[in-house]
Amino acid sequence: MTQYIVRRLLLMPLTLIGVTLLIFGMLSFLSPAERVSLYVRDIPKNDIVMNSLIERYGLNDPFLVQYYHWLVGQKDASTGEWAGGILRGNFGYSRSANQNIVDLIKRRFPATVELALYSIVPLIGVGTWLGIVAAKNHNNIIDQIARIFGILGYSFPSFVFGLLMLMFFYAKYQIFPPDRLSNWANLVVTGEGFTSYTSLVTIDALLNGRFDIFLDALRHLVLPILTLSYINWALYLRIMRSSMLESMNQDYVVTARAKGVKEKDVVNKHARPNAMIPIVTMSGMTIAGLLSGVTITETIFIYPGIGSAAAAASTQLDVVTILSLVLLTGFILLVANLIVDITYAFLDPRVRLS
Amino acid sequence: MAELYSVKDLETQFHTREGTVHAVNGVSFSLQEGETLGIVGESGCGKSVSMLSTLRLIPQPPGEIVSGEAIFQGRDLLKLSAEELRHVRGGQIGFVFQDPMTSFNPVQTIGKQLMEPLEIHLGMNKKQAWDRAIEMLRMVRIPNPEDRLKDYPHQFSGGMRQRAMIAMALACSPQVLIADEPTTSLDVTIQAQIMDLVTSLRKELGMAIIWITHDLGVVAGLAERVIVMYAGYIVEEARVKDLYAKPEHPYTLGLLRSLPRLDMDEKKRLASIEGVPPVLFKKPKFCPFASRCPYRIEKCLEENPSLMLVGENHKAACWVDTYTGKER
Ligand SMILES: Nc1ncnc2c1ncn2[C@@H]1O[C@H](COP(=O)(O)OP(=O)(O)O)[C@@H](O)[C@H]1O
Ligand code: SF4
Ligand SMILES: [Mg+2]
Repeated sequence: MTQYIVRRLLLMPLTLIGVTLLIFGMLSFLSPAERVSLYVRDIPKNDIVMNSLIERYGLNDPFLVQYYHWLVGQKDASTGEWAGGILRGNFGYSRSANQNIVDLIKRRFPATVELALYSIVPLIGVGTWLGIVAAKNHNNIIDQIARIFGILGYSFPSFVFGLLMLMFFYAKYQIFPPDRLSNWANLVVTGEGFTSYTSLVTIDALLNGRFDIFLDALRHLVLPILTLSYINWALYLRIMRSSMLESMNQDYVVTARAKGVKEKDVVNKHARPNAMIPIVTMSGMTIAGLLSGVTITETIFIYPGIGSAAAAASTQLDVVTILSLVLLTGFILLVANLIVDITYAFLDPRVRLS
Repeated sequence: MAELYSVKDLETQFHTREGTVHAVNGVSFSLQEGETLGIVGESGCGKSVSMLSTLRLIPQPPGEIVSGEAIFQGRDLLKLSAEELRHVRGGQIGFVFQDPMTSFNPVQTIGKQLMEPLEIHLGMNKKQAWDRAIEMLRMVRIPNPEDRLKDYPHQFSGGMRQRAMIAMALACSPQVLIADEPTTSLDVTIQAQIMDLVTSLRKELGMAIIWITHDLGVVAGLAERVIVMYAGYIVEEARVKDLYAKPEHPYTLGLLRSLPRLDMDEKKRLASIEGVPPVLFKKPKFCPFASRCPYRIEKCLEENPSLMLVGENHKAACWVDTYTGKER
C-alpha cells in the first residue's frame, strides 16, 4: 500500500505537466497576434505595439519553449536574473482580477474551501441518508417521494434553482443574502484587531470571539450550500439506494439473519458498510469538485471563491489566470483521487490486502 | 428418539412479474433428535426455499409462506414473533449455506462474524466470544486459529471458509444444523474433508442435521433418512438403505442412475434424466414429473399422486409400481 501511494505521489507532477501542456497546446491554435490583442485596448490596434508585445512575451517562440518559460522562467541575458516561472512561485498577474495570481488564490481559495467544508455534510450526508431511507422503504410511498424529490433537484439547472432561492430568501424575506459577509462584518474582518488565523471567516470569527460575525458568515453560506446540495442529492440518493438494495440481497445478509442478528443490525452492520463503498468513490470526486470552485453557484451568489474567479478569467480570456487555476484544481483532483483510493482500501479489505 | 422438529403442509409461493411461482407445495417431514436427514433433488426443486421458509428466511415479498407449520420444541416457528424467532435462528438452529464465498460479509473479519452469534445468543462479552471463536476454529480444524480470526473472508480458501461457516453455525451448540448444499461449490477432495468433519462433529456434539444436496451419492454416507423433492413436492421418503435397495419413484431411479459408479464408464453414467424440473405457475392437476417420466400411464396426466405408503417407513408419490410397471 505504501509503495502504491509513493508511486501515485511521484506520478502527480507528471499528470499536472500533462494537463498544463494540453492547455498550452490548445493555445497554439491562436495566433500570437490574436493572443496579444487582448492586452491592447486601442482600436484600431497598433501593429508596432502589438509586435513589441509579441516580442517581449516571446509569443513567436516554439510552443515547448513558451511552456518552458512559463514553467521554469526566463533568464535575462544581460542581468542574469530570472523572470517568471511558476516553479519559482511566479504565477504572474491576473488581468481579470487586477492582482497577482498568488494573491488572488490566497484570497479566494479559503472562501471556496469554506463553502466546500460546510457543504459536505448536507450534500453527501443527507443525499446518502435519503438513499438509505428510500431503500428501506423500497417501492412504497416514501421511496417514491424521496426519488421524485431527488430527480426534481437533479433536473433543475443550478442557476435556476439558485435564482429561485435568491428571489425567495433574499429579495422577498431577506434572510439569506448573497456574497460572503455583510458590509459591517467585512469592515470588522478587514480592520484592525481582527486576526485572520485560518482565512476561513467562520472559524476566524469564533477564534476572535465574534459570534455575530460567525452567524453572519453562516447566513451567507446557507443558499449556496442548499443549492449545491439539492442539485446533487439525486445522485447520492440513487447510488446509495441501489447499492443498499443490492447489499440487502446479498447472501451474507441472509447469513446474518440466519445467525439471529437483529434486523436493525443486519442493515447497519452488514448491508450498509458494504453499500457505502461506491459512495466513498463518489464523494471524493464531489469534494474535489467543490474545492475546485463551483463556478455557477459562486457566480450566482456573488461568492468570492476561485469558481467565480475562474468564470471571470474565462470570460475575459485571461489565459495566465486560467492556467494557474487549472494547476490548482488539477492538483486538488489528484490529491482527492489518492485519498479516495486510500479510503477505499480502508473500507474494503479485499483492496487493502491485495 | 424424540421428535425434535416437525414441518407440516408447508407451502411457499413467490409472487413475481411472470406470475405466482409455486416453489414449495405441501411439504411435511419430521426430524428426530440426533438424526441426519438428507434432502435430495435437482436444482430448482424447492429444497432451499422449504428449509429457508421454516425459519422465515425467504425474502418477503416476493415470497409468501402460504400455509403450514414448523414445530420446533413445541412452538410453531411460523407464528413466533420476530424477536422470539431471532433467538431460534443461530441459537438453536444453525444454517450453513451453499456458497462460502458470498455467505460471509466481505468487509468484516472472520473473527467478528464468528463472535456475533455468541454475543447475541449466549450473551458473551468480546473476550469470551473471542476465546470461544478460537475454540470453534480449532474444532473445525483450521490451523493457527488465533491468527486466522483476524483475517478477512477473502484470505481464506473455499474449503476453509466453509469450515468457518460450519464453526459459525455450530457456535451456540444448536440442536439442529441445516446445511444447504455446503459442498456443492467445493472441489471433490475438499468436499470429502468437509463431509468427514461434519461426521465427526456430529459424533462429538450430537446435533441433528438436515443435509440438502443434489447428489444422492453424498447422502448415502451421511444420512439415516432421505427425502427426495421434485417441483416443490416430496416424491419419495425412506431410510437410506431402503432407498438404495429399493427405490420406488421414477425420479429417484433417474437420480440413482445418473450417479457415477466405479463399474460404469463415463458415457453410461451421463444417462441422466432428460429435461429440467418445471417452474410451476399453477398447482398441477397431473404428475409434475410426467413430462420426463418413462413409466407414465394415462392416470398420471389426470391426477397428481400424493405421497403414499409403499413399504415399511417408505413413501412415494407415484401411480405406478416401477418394479411391475403396473398401476398401484
Ligand atoms: N426470490 C425468488 N423469487 C422468485 N422465485 C424464487 C425465488 N427464490 C426461489 N424461487 C423459485 O423457487 C423454486 C425453488 O427454488 P430453490 O428452493 O432455490 O431450489 P433448490 O432445490 O435448488 O434449492 C425455483 O423454481 C425458483 O425459481
Ligand atoms: S405418477 Fe406417473 S408420471 Fe408421475 S412419476 Fe409416477 S409414473 Fe411417472
Ligand atoms: Mg438451493
